[in-house]
Amino acid sequence: MAQKPNFNDDIIFSTIGELNAKLRAREFSAVELARAFGERLERLGPRYNALALPLREQAMKQAKAVDEDIKIGRLRGMLQGVPFGVKDLLAYPGHPTTWGAKPYAAQVINQTATVIKKLEKAGGLLTGKLSMVELAGGPSYRYARASFQGPGLNPWDRSRWSGGSSSGSGIAVAAGLVPYALGSETSGSILTPSAFCGVTGLRPTYGLVSRSGAMALSWTLDKIGPLCRSAEDCGLVLQAIAGGDAGDPASAGKSFYYAPQFARAFKDITIGFASVDFSAIPDPAAQPDLQKAFEQIKALGVRVKEVKLPDFPYGALVGTIISAEAASIFEPLIMSGQVDQLADQKQIAGLKAGLEIPAKDYLRAMRVRSLVQEGFAELLSDVDILIAPTRSAPAPKISDPLDRIATNRPLPANRGFSALIPAGNLAGLPGLSLPCGFANGMPLGIQLVGRPFSENMLLAVGREYQQRTDHHRKRPPA
Amino acid sequence: MALTFTRRALAGIAAAAALGKREAAAQSPQASALPANPEEELTAVRAQNKANMEQIAKIALPLATEPATHFKA
Repeated sequence: MAQKPNFNDDIIFSTIGELNAKLRAREFSAVELARAFGERLERLGPRYNALALPLREQAMKQAKAVDEDIKIGRLRGMLQGVPFGVKDLLAYPGHPTTWGAKPYAAQVINQTATVIKKLEKAGGLLTGKLSMVELAGGPSYRYARASFQGPGLNPWDRSRWSGGSSSGSGIAVAAGLVPYALGSETSGSILTPSAFCGVTGLRPTYGLVSRSGAMALSWTLDKIGPLCRSAEDCGLVLQAIAGGDAGDPASAGKSFYYAPQFARAFKDITIGFASVDFSAIPDPAAQPDLQKAFEQIKALGVRVKEVKLPDFPYGALVGTIISAEAASIFEPLIMSGQVDQLADQKQIAGLKAGLEIPAKDYLRAMRVRSLVQEGFAELLSDVDILIAPTRSAPAPKISDPLDRIATNRPLPANRGFSALIPAGNLAGLPGLSLPCGFANGMPLGIQLVGRPFSENMLLAVGREYQQRTDHHRKRPPA
Repeated sequence: MALTFTRRALAGIAAAAALGKREAAAQSPQASALPANPEEELTAVRAQNKANMEQIAKIALPLATEPATHFKA
């Protein structure tokens, strides 16, 4: 009888490629791997409020088929036999899809989200659905506890927030509960938990990944993307989930092939930055490692150039657009009064007030958004990539009011790229957050933002950075 | 009527017109006390939405500018 494999931390925290190589080498089976991650997710997920729905039994059934395929040499790529989790806004038939919100706790959507279908077709094993901020954050929310599954507790320090709204996805990857996860971003919901939890997260270009079967928060802003252990893993997952889909009216109809080797030579890549982002703006405890990260990026051989973001009220624009679209989407919830069952009073008020936004103001915001896109097209004709801290401070305390943190210390008049997250989302641009160090023991992230559909360039820079550093290999305390 | 500026040029004009005159309220939260009840919360959100709209209204918007719906490589 074969010896039972020892799924120690070195295996649990392996990348997708490493796990797939061990599966092919028969060091363990897909069934054994699915069982190990499924048990770990069920045992440790509740410790961080990361688990929305365990799917271990389902995953193990699929793993049996994968083992048969591997046995007869039917190899389907790097994702084959590798477990994963998804944010609980993606539909999976026969099981609840809560959208992180009490009013939808018993909701069953008998559809498989396109991205799950694609990962399963590639041999991926869905071991569970992961917690999230209710309604992916809605127009806004004040507290980390704005979730049906409870506040996302950071694996690096459970008194601190995981970030949101893809809270469970960030936690699960950081704590080794899944090798990778899918999250969604409307304005910061992939990049923020990636930075706070110390994992690598990719926000794809708007329209590159189908949202069919995903909860809509804002039709013109929502994107689905991966949170992983490395830039390389993000590329592998993106390749599997990208592509045109008639089920998503916003689909760009484009595929993505992960091929960082064909990205431009680094000496021909110009990265735009604002020096204030690495000096006056960040939390003082975060400055040393953020500065070092920027120096390490420069050491890759890229060119750098100080630039300014086009000057627009990004926060006001993204706030108006999300509020108006979310209120329209959730009008039945609001009008029925069930909106009052949500956990966060600011979100409840935001949804109600969103119904009052006049059409002329929404349309004006969307027209100004066209100018934003023009402005970024101009900026990104001058430089290839923009770089900035993903967040200027590490994860806040669980009890902190999230809309008051920025007032704790004075900021300079020049805000650098502080608004790069809402700006990048408004312009539909891809963004990659890379772990880049620590402040007071909590992870920090640095973000790269590029032109639409330039994911391979971002991933090439990210991969090279991670070949020279080990921030992405750091593990939270057991 | 023929346009004499490209959209890109107009975007630059619009951005320049707004330069240095505002800070997005959502990017720079006020250090005020937290709302104490749902009514105060709703009042605060309405005020924020109004402030957002006022900021957006300051951006010079060429007549030909259509709402953003497409993203090109």
